[in-house]
Amino acid sequence: MSSANGNGAPPVSLTIDGRKVSVPAGTTIYDAATRAFVKQAGDRNPIPILCHREHMTPVAVCRVCTVDVSVNGRQEFRLAPACQREVAEGMEVRTHETSDRVRNAVSMLTELLLADYPDPEAARAARLTKQGQSRGEGNDELIELAERLGVENPRFSRSRREKPIDESSMVIAVDHNACILCDRCIRACNDIRNNHVIGRTGKGYKTRIAFDLDDPMGDSSCVACGECMISCPTGALLSKHHVLSRPPAGTVPAEELAAHPLFTGVSKAFLDFNEGAVVRKHFRKGDVICREGDYDATAYYIEDGEVEIFISSPFKHVKNHRGAGSWNPFALVRNSLLAGRGEDRRDEEMDTEFISIDAPVVLRYDKPVATMGPGAIFGEMACMSSYPRSATVVAQTDCTLLEVGRNVLYILQRGKFSKAQLDERYRQNALDNHLRGATVFARMVKNEDEFKKLVEFLRPRVDLVRVNNGEVIFRQGDPADAYYLIRIGFVKVSQERPGGEFVLTYFGPGKSFGEIGLMGHIPEIRDLAPPGIRTATCTALDHVDLVKIKGEDFRLLLEQFPSVQKSFIDYAITILKQNERMLRQVNEDSLGDFLQQGLMNAQSVLVLDLEKCTRCDECTKACADSHGGVTRLIREGLRFDRFLVASSCRSCLDPYCMVGCPVNSIRRRGSLEIIIEDWCIGCGKCAENCPYGNINMHPFPTGQNVFDEELRRKVPVLQQKATTCDLCRELDGQPSCVYACPHDAAHRMKGSDLAREIGIVATPPPVR
Amino acid sequence: MLVQELNALQKRFGYLPADELKELSRRLGVPLHRLHEVASFFPHFKLKKGADVEVLVCRDVSCCLRGAEPLRQGLKALANEIDPTGKSVHVDGVSCLGQCDHAPAVLINDQVYYGLTEPQLRSRIHSAVARDPLPHQRADRSPQGWKIDPYGGTPRYEAVQKLVATRDPASGALLGIDALLESLKESTLRGMGGARFPTHIKWAAVRSQQSDTKYVVCNGDESEPGTFKDRELLRRAPHLLVEGMVLAGLTAGATKGYIYIRHEYHEEIEAVEEAIRDARSRGACGDDIFGSGLSFPVEVFVSPGGYICGEESALLEAMEDRRAEPRNKPPFPTVKGLFNQPTIINNVETLMWTPAIYLNGGAWYRDQGVNGGQGLWFCSISGDVRDPGVYEVPFGITVRDLVYRRAGGMAGGQRLKAIAPSGPSGGFLPTLIPRNALPKTFVEKYLPEGGAFFDILDLPLDPDVLRGMEGMLGAAFVAVGEQADLVALALNLTEFFRNESCGKCVPCRIGSQKLVEMLRALKAGQLDREHLDLASSLGQTMILTSICGLGQVAPNPLLSLVKYFPDDVDAYLDRRGGPPVREFSAFETMV
Repeated sequence: MSSANGNGAPPVSLTIDGRKVSVPAGTTIYDAATRAFVKQAGDRNPIPILCHREHMTPVAVCRVCTVDVSVNGRQEFRLAPACQREVAEGMEVRTHETSDRVRNAVSMLTELLLADYPDPEAARAARLTKQGQSRGEGNDELIELAERLGVENPRFSRSRREKPIDESSMVIAVDHNACILCDRCIRACNDIRNNHVIGRTGKGYKTRIAFDLDDPMGDSSCVACGECMISCPTGALLSKHHVLSRPPAGTVPAEELAAHPLFTGVSKAFLDFNEGAVVRKHFRKGDVICREGDYDATAYYIEDGEVEIFISSPFKHVKNHRGAGSWNPFALVRNSLLAGRGEDRRDEEMDTEFISIDAPVVLRYDKPVATMGPGAIFGEMACMSSYPRSATVVAQTDCTLLEVGRNVLYILQRGKFSKAQLDERYRQNALDNHLRGATVFARMVKNEDEFKKLVEFLRPRVDLVRVNNGEVIFRQGDPADAYYLIRIGFVKVSQERPGGEFVLTYFGPGKSFGEIGLMGHIPEIRDLAPPGIRTATCTALDHVDLVKIKGEDFRLLLEQFPSVQKSFIDYAITILKQNERMLRQVNEDSLGDFLQQGLMNAQSVLVLDLEKCTRCDECTKACADSHGGVTRLIREGLRFDRFLVASSCRSCLDPYCMVGCPVNSIRRRGSLEIIIEDWCIGCGKCAENCPYGNINMHPFPTGQNVFDEELRRKVPVLQQKATTCDLCRELDGQPSCVYACPHDAAHRMKGSDLAREIGIVATPPPVR
Repeated sequence: MLVQELNALQKRFGYLPADELKELSRRLGVPLHRLHEVASFFPHFKLKKGADVEVLVCRDVSCCLRGAEPLRQGLKALANEIDPTGKSVHVDGVSCLGQCDHAPAVLINDQVYYGLTEPQLRSRIHSAVARDPLPHQRADRSPQGWKIDPYGGTPRYEAVQKLVATRDPASGALLGIDALLESLKESTLRGMGGARFPTHIKWAAVRSQQSDTKYVVCNGDESEPGTFKDRELLRRAPHLLVEGMVLAGLTAGATKGYIYIRHEYHEEIEAVEEAIRDARSRGACGDDIFGSGLSFPVEVFVSPGGYICGEESALLEAMEDRRAEPRNKPPFPTVKGLFNQPTIINNVETLMWTPAIYLNGGAWYRDQGVNGGQGLWFCSISGDVRDPGVYEVPFGITVRDLVYRRAGGMAGGQRLKAIAPSGPSGGFLPTLIPRNALPKTFVEKYLPEGGAFFDILDLPLDPDVLRGMEGMLGAAFVAVGEQADLVALALNLTEFFRNESCGKCVPCRIGSQKLVEMLRALKAGQLDREHLDLASSLGQTMILTSICGLGQVAPNPLLSLVKYFPDDVDAYLDRRGGPPVREFSAFETMV
């Protein structure tokens, strides 16, 4: 990990084994050598490492990365650790490939380590009988290093007595004899996984790694995450395979995976430990690979063949429907039906031409079907964050897919080479689809030529970055330096207010953010937001993959594509005004509990006056009658004074229901009301997320029938859809629940009005 | 914080019970492995309940030359007599206790005893077993008329007064700082811990750092075998250290000063703490120094122990509640020191010279050197000399002067065989160095035309001269008489480094162990030429690649043995040919 800051400081030029390279100040020699020598998968950094990994803070304890350093012609007497030493202008670095004293030193260190290392043959044989597994040849980094340097049998004799192997853990065996104290497991456990279990015990030659208070691993607070094991360069931490359940059929052996291009650079130990996490599946034409709404937390990689991806749920939303042709208000036949937007136009949705799904393609609203071929990976979000499948995938031809588990996908995205591959794949195949799905680019799509130009413009300018659960992407008040498009995951947008954090909104896949801070140079925006400064804090809610466009590139984009600029300006103005309105409202009445319960912003809460209410439940019945027999309100809830706020959607300030919708079909209107778009696939994620239980899942007939083999008759096809209070209107313009109350106890009112009613805020003076 | 908590637990229970550590972990919110890492690193902390009486005999060079090994065997026999199960009395070795001039030194239940006979020690052990209070061995604290003390033993803090008097009332700046730094520069004062870094550059470097928080740390972790001059200085003139700390603090604009002292120096800790209280009451440190409105508090930090803590960055790690493992440098402490803030770290003696230099001028100090040397230094001399002790001598003093005039000559009429001018870390020099073993520039300067040998008695003890002959001058001077076995001594010194290695980097952790094994094999007549050469090239790798000074100097005893004492080595070499005997390699428990 380099501590490169690169902010403003001029780049530093140096030579490594005669090769010139220029890197940002603060880069380490090792990273500079990577820059100079590693251009593609398979290239090798001339500097060997043992204790260092790119994703770890360097500790420089093994010293095998030792290099000879001269600065401005003056050779340093001692050798420097390349993983930790930062570059300097005019530095001349010589590695073991060009310097004898470096080669001698590195070979000597390797020989020292080997001298106390268990005899590889004997150890392997012993472990084969003991544990039924071995690490496998060619994957021990110390042995590999010895081979690379031509270090053979060590001339030093072995120092220590054979120590016992700690087999107390269910999944990992600890062999202190093979431990070289590289500190990788320690950093893996403490810094990477934050489990804080592994440390060192003792001092000097007797130092060992230890768990907690030097307890046996199995008795310690270890959670067996396996990160230490996959970080271990030798055979000191090995997986105890035999205790794991048998790998499923179709499991691709670790040897084969190690040779598979997709897994380039992934540690063999990791693949061994995760055996069974990659399964090869064959599908016949027409087979269903996965179904929308299902929870099965894996991703797929297409090796061969083509698949079709589509949303099978009808694109309709829930609409109330009075009995057909009825004229008699007392004989209402109430029903809920599903309506498409052709029949029932909803505002703001007409712009939507494409729907983002958990795949490198987008679906057209009017024809939600796409195909994917070899090399595509889909289901990443389902895999990384356990979201329901966003679409149904069916084999279009006979095809072969690799089904990949979460651990494996995670490591692919972390490995240098595998990530580079994934990123390139995104740039070449998925970028244009992704842009089509992004709302702000929607207008561009109508001009196909210009859209193509846009994609070509952005292709070399996008970087893929990953943010972990809970990490801040940027903070309110930070200087704005980039624009982001969400590829997978959810992002929370919030502002710091007196009294706490205020959530403005949540963004999911296909959404973008960060443009406002970059548009300060545009007159229309300048007056609404401070230029160059982030107006809100964005935080990853789960595993988030972002596409990053640097500030200068973004501004260039606006300059070169006036229609995009126009689209962005309109969008930014809408957002800023909306935020301002919300904040004004919050500032007016900041009310702790009332606010926290989401009531203040509630547009129309059902309030029951308990002094009048006889608990007759007519309101609930009326709601059920109006909505296909299923009530959307429950006569329970919070009490304020003599009022009961019944459970129904409150249009909360913090609309958590929006997080996790795999197809982005639940969203907020400008009025803060929550609506569910008609491409809801009925997965139930929003209902699960609503803290007040106010979103319900209901099956609705789709109008289609299928023949049921068991019942031997046709049955209607039902579709689950999420529903929330739709503020149905009765004859007198009131919702049916209010209309039905025989005691004048049910009222619909705004949250803020309720607050005044119960006297927690003063009534504002009437406006003259 | 953590170190102090562990100290308190150990004091209460005699060791660190696991349940108490778990409770501590919950209370402080510190993971268990962090507590264990620290507790298992410092030998001072015990993780298991030990014997009732713990007797530790120094096992390092000066004590060994004065019969520590037979003494240890004798006390072990006593322990076995008292209780054969070992539960009552446990006798073991310990690294240098800094009492080399009163060798041998022994710790009985944390009380330091030195210069006692075996019968005297036996009676102490019997009292300890009977749970009678153990007497303190009080050392003399009277001033010695040293030139370093401009006040003759009565603290007056005139240097601090002189500096704060230069305060510009308008800007609040101390206008005298430049003059102070100039006098340090003129004096040629360099780091007295052995690294010899110019003091004025270090102070100016920290002064120029932009930071709200800066520290001054005094390195009083004197632990190198043969070195004990700081012990005398701390005890006899602690006021000079406090004054030097304040001068450094005001110069650098530092916020706080810590005096880090090894925990075995009970009396010295007491003396320094008294001096700090006294200075505070006189207004020379703490708040509002001499009415200037400037403050600089100073306090003592008691080291949890270990030679490695004398490595400045390891010392900082220990102060930050971690294992005392040296940091990779750069960055240096002047930029990122204690808690990542700019920090002046100076040896005790370095800081103590600064008041006199500031008061008397840089030239006063510089011009006291002889034979081309500059300035004065305190030399700890021990080993086979008649009067071991601490002497204030000029740089450039010849070995002849030091050994035969100051230290009263060799003990028992022995002839001088070798010197170790920097304790173990510099290795040995023979009395006659052959011309071809010396660098050309040195030969040209110091050897007469046609002279085949350089007589070590003529060697001016000056850091630059020593460096010119690829050696080093530290604060420890050990004289070795003709009866000593140099192979055994080299093994002893190498064992010291192996025992004190922190274990962080590979070259030092494994290298020092392999060197010990090979020297042990040599001593047993089981090492051939080929493997001796291997040991030498291992030594070169350790010098080039170790993180800190410990690993970089650990091969010096062996390398100097091979270079200067071929006859001693030859007497032991295995000439049988064939494969080397492998028995020597069995790993023996250390301690």
